[in-house]
Parts: sequence; structure tokens; C-alpha cells
Amino acid sequence: MIYGDKKTGILVQGATGKQGEFHIGLMNTYAREVGGRGVVAGVTPGKGGQQVHGVPVYNTVKDAMSEHDISASVIFVPAGAASDAIMEEANAGIETIVCITEHIPVHDTMKAIAYATMQGSSVIGPNCPGLLSPGEVKMGIMPSGLFSRGNVGVISRSGTLTYEVVDELTRAGIGQSTVVGIGGDPVIGQTFVDVLKEFENDPQTKAVVLIGEVGGNLEEEGAKCTDLPIVAYIAGISAPPDKRMGHAGAIVEGGEGDARSKIARLKKNGVPVASRPSEIPDMVRKLFCGC
Amino acid sequence: MKLREHEAKKVIKEYGIPVPAGFLIRTATELPAHLDALGDKIVLKAQVDIGGRGKAGGILMADKKTAVATAEALFKKEIKGLPVKEILAEQQLDIQHEYYLSITVDRSSKQPLILFTEAGGVDIEITAKENPGAIKKVIATPLMRDLPPFMLRELAGKAPKEIMPIINKLYRVFLEKDALLAEINPLVTTPQGVFAADAKIIVDDNALGRQGFTINRDLTDREREAEKHGFSYVELNGAIGVIGNGAGLTMSTLDLIEFYGGKAANFLDVGGGAESERVMHAVRLVASVPSVKVIVVNLLGGITKCDEVAKGIIAAGISQKVIVRLAGTNEAEGRRLLTEKGYEMLPTMDSVVKKAVEVTA
Repeated sequence: MIYGDKKTGILVQGATGKQGEFHIGLMNTYAREVGGRGVVAGVTPGKGGQQVHGVPVYNTVKDAMSEHDISASVIFVPAGAASDAIMEEANAGIETIVCITEHIPVHDTMKAIAYATMQGSSVIGPNCPGLLSPGEVKMGIMPSGLFSRGNVGVISRSGTLTYEVVDELTRAGIGQSTVVGIGGDPVIGQTFVDVLKEFENDPQTKAVVLIGEVGGNLEEEGAKCTDLPIVAYIAGISAPPDKRMGHAGAIVEGGEGDARSKIARLKKNGVPVASRPSEIPDMVRKLFCGC
Repeated sequence: MKLREHEAKKVIKEYGIPVPAGFLIRTATELPAHLDALGDKIVLKAQVDIGGRGKAGGILMADKKTAVATAEALFKKEIKGLPVKEILAEQQLDIQHEYYLSITVDRSSKQPLILFTEAGGVDIEITAKENPGAIKKVIATPLMRDLPPFMLRELAGKAPKEIMPIINKLYRVFLEKDALLAEINPLVTTPQGVFAADAKIIVDDNALGRQGFTINRDLTDREREAEKHGFSYVELNGAIGVIGNGAGLTMSTLDLIEFYGGKAANFLDVGGGAESERVMHAVRLVASVPSVKVIVVNLLGGITKCDEVAKGIIAAGISQKVIVRLAGTNEAEGRRLLTEKGYEMLPTMDSVVKKAVEVTA
């Protein structure tokens, strides 16, 4: 597993909001099932002293850090406050910052990520479902019921499409090491390249499923930089140019980032590309048996 | 959202970048009042929200005598199907050399990327293919308000000195106006100095509010209606309506329609926590598209309650066939509600899409 395990203490920013409260409940239910620490503290400015599902809430990240051993965080604050939340956590020394919030202006994200990088923090997202390592830790909003533990890493720009693929893998008896939703925005913290580097250093991960979509060329950059066996899938082959397909980052602009040329470049680099999600399990199995 | 040329030029002018003398007119009768300020040679540019307008006849040259008649003719034209409602009338520049300058968001470095080339005026994509060495690239840090002078020198190279402050001014525009793209093509030298002959700014849709825009002009009426309900919606033109949750899954559903030989009518991402009323609005919106013969609903997720979704589909009460794939909590109850009312519920993405393609074939 990567980015955290059972021993990881998690902080949630936006703990007293509807989303924050709901998902602290789910994350800690999962933590109890697997015997992990889960969410140990929440932060909402002005709400210090309250509790959410028994988790103490603090006014600032530094206050929470002084009382608890915390190395990761999940952000549920509104778009206008999210880049500030990322920077506050990076400043306080949190190693892994997962930002669920969507609709953050790109310029805010660029600044927050540049600052977090200077502070040595890794940002996952924004506009992502977070990550889940089956049997170890859940940081975010992924539905844990679909997952099973195993040796395949998954990296994806989308949420529900990831659940679709994970569901297919689990049904086919193929377990996952860590599933990382890196986010659907044009600027995100950890890209395919960064997450693949983590997977390379993870003894549990033997192969990776890379789920991309139209926009940019980060899938190809990622696939080029690793020796791990990969199966890829790219969504958006039917996406018209210059239209944002739901995700801020899912757009074919200036003739660049379209699905067909992405698929062609991946195949040129020897990466097998599935033409629909239901083909992925068989293709992964082929990677393992080498047939 | 793309700014129109006259809007983009107004912005860069406020930041001190010289633009040609110009006036926005809505009828040809407004033109004579500006003729003295425009000089002898005039260019008339249709302000339409579409690329490639020059090649489509949206830019016409004129002189003082022919200007009004030329403007009248341009107002009567359609540029790639769009009516000409506004024309930017500008002085023609006495161009000596054309440069290209742009600033974009670089996904790979997660920072602003500045491109400059002395081979301007032509399509930058062509230059990038045929003479990539001619394009100078610098990656800046979003944490600094100004570009350090060494970056400006690196970009400008042997180009006239006046260009360096223009690059920095455009960088300020890029940062302060929440731009995804700020471009001057061409940036030209003339005996009178350096001018931005054209300008393009795309503002981040997520920052329109704080930049003072109340609506996103790039959206169609139906797309705007969808936005009000919190849906992401894109119009296509096939017979199969699509409703999904999550951008990736919805895109993948469209791709699967193509894979099985069908054509999708739309992309609609209903978003997280699809309760019955939202689903009802989504179904009705898609059903209101005239070309839609059948609707595929593909919803998956831990939080999605299938009984809520089923109630929404039933409440929409539309005439077209709805084929449903649902996976989540209360799945059995959702299936019971739907089958009771005669809706078809199938277990996988592949099966719903196949069925929809068969129905429309």
C-alpha cells in the first residue's frame, strides 16, 4: 500500500460540515473493521471543542497536530477555502493531503500545490474521491464494499468510473493494493508519474491499472516512466472538441489531449489499452500469467 | 469562458499593452462617427464566439470610403452559422514583423507556461510541428507576481526590447484574471511601436463569479438550464440520451454507445447523492431533446440510493423508453419499483448500452 496504512492518523478539514461529518463516520467505520486508527481529529475554524462521531474538533491544524499524531488529511471545505486549507496543512507538516473539494479555481490550485511542494507535502486531488488501500486505510469517499485486497494498484482521474473498474476486478477475483483517485481538474497534485513512482517502491503492487480520460498527456507521461506492467483505459473517445466533459480537466483543446491519440501513444509504448471497462480484468490477468 | 476579442483587448489595454485604435459597433450607422479616429485604412472584425473566423470571411479590409458599405455587408453575413451582432472596427497596422506570445496552465509542471516565438502570425501548432526549436518555453512559478528579468530575456531573445515588459504585463493579466489562456497572436512591430493585433483570453469557468461574470456564454440554453440543477451537461446529436453519475463513468457510457454502433444525444453527469427530485429533473431535461428516442441511466456508487433513483425516474413520467443500470444501496427495492412500472433494469453497463443501441437501430 502507498500513502498510508493502519497506523496513519488522519485529520479532516471541514469536519463539522455535512460532507465532512458523513464521511468521518464512514472512514472510521472502515478503520474499526480493519483495526486502523482512522480519523483522529477534525478542524473547522470557530468550532473548536465540538465533537463529530466522537472525534475532537479543533480551530486550527496546528492545534490538532499538537494533540495528535497525524500524517495525512482529507479536505471537505468549500471551493473558496480549499487552497487555504491545503496550505495550512502543508505549513503544519502534514505529509499526505487529500483534497476532495471540486470547483476550485485553477490559479488557487496552482499556488496551493506550489506551496505544498515547497513544504514537502504530497497533495492528492483536488476534485478527487481520495484513496483506499483494502484492509489498511481509507482516506476519502470511496465505497469500501466494492474493494478487495490484492496486488493491483489503480490510478484514476475519475470517481465512479474507478468504482466500476474496482467492482469488475473484485468480481474477477483480482484484489487491489491501493486505489488512488488523482482528480479531474487540469492541475492536480500527484499525477500518474508521481503515483507510479510510489507503486514502484511498494512490494505489494505487482501491476497497475491506469484509468485516464481526455485532456492533457499525463497518462502517456506516466506510462513512459515506469517498469511496472500496466493496463490502461482512456474515457472520452466520443468526446467532442472544446467541450468540458464534466471534469474541468476533461477537454480536448487546440487539437490536443484527444482519446484516440492518447491511446495510440500508449500502445506505441507497449501499454495494452482496454476498449471498455469490462475488458480490464482479463487484460490484467494476462499481465500476470504473461500469456 | 472565452472573452471576445474586443473584451480581451480592453483587458490587456488596462494593463498597459498597446492595442490598435478601435471601436465596437452594433450597426453600420455607428461607424461614420469613428472614421476620423481610425485613419485611412480600416479592418472590420466580426465578434463571434468561434475560432477560425478570418478564414470564414469574418475579417474584412476597407478604407474610409468603403468602410460603411463593408460593415453593412459583414453584419448581413453568418460566420460558421453564427450571426454577426458586433463588429470591432480598427485601424490597420503597418506591420513590420509578427510574433507569437501565449501563457497557459501547464498540466505537467502544474505551473504557468509561457511560449514566445519570432515566427508569429501563423498557426502555432504548425510552427510547433515544423520548427519546434523556434518556440521558446519558460515555466514560471505562480507564487511570484512578476516574471524575473532572466526569464523575460530568455523568452524575448533578439526581439525588440519593448517586448519584455509586454510579456510581463500579459503574465499579470494571466494571474489576476484567472486565465486558462492569455494569448497575443500576432504581437506586431510597426514604425509606431509594438501592438497586440489580436488577443485571446479564456477565463476559468470556476472563477467566473469572482471575475464579475454572471453567466457562461459558452453554454447553450439547455446546458445552462442543466447547470442550474447542478448537472454537467453537453449536447451531442444522437438518439440515445445518457444520464450517469460521475464524469468518467458518464463519458465511458458514451464511448460504449459508440463501441456498440449507436450515437449518444448528450452527456449528463447528475453528480453525487442523486436523490429522486434531481433524477426526475435530469430525466425530463434529456427527454426534452427532440432527437432522444431512448434514455440510458447508468448510476453506480456507494452513496447512491437506488430506490430514490427509481422514484425519480418514475416521477419524470416521460414518453421515451428508459433503460436502467443501478448499483448501490437499496438495489432490490429500486429494482422492484422499476419493474413494477414496466421499466427495464439490467445488471451491467454493457447490457444497458447494448439494449439501447438495439432499440434505436
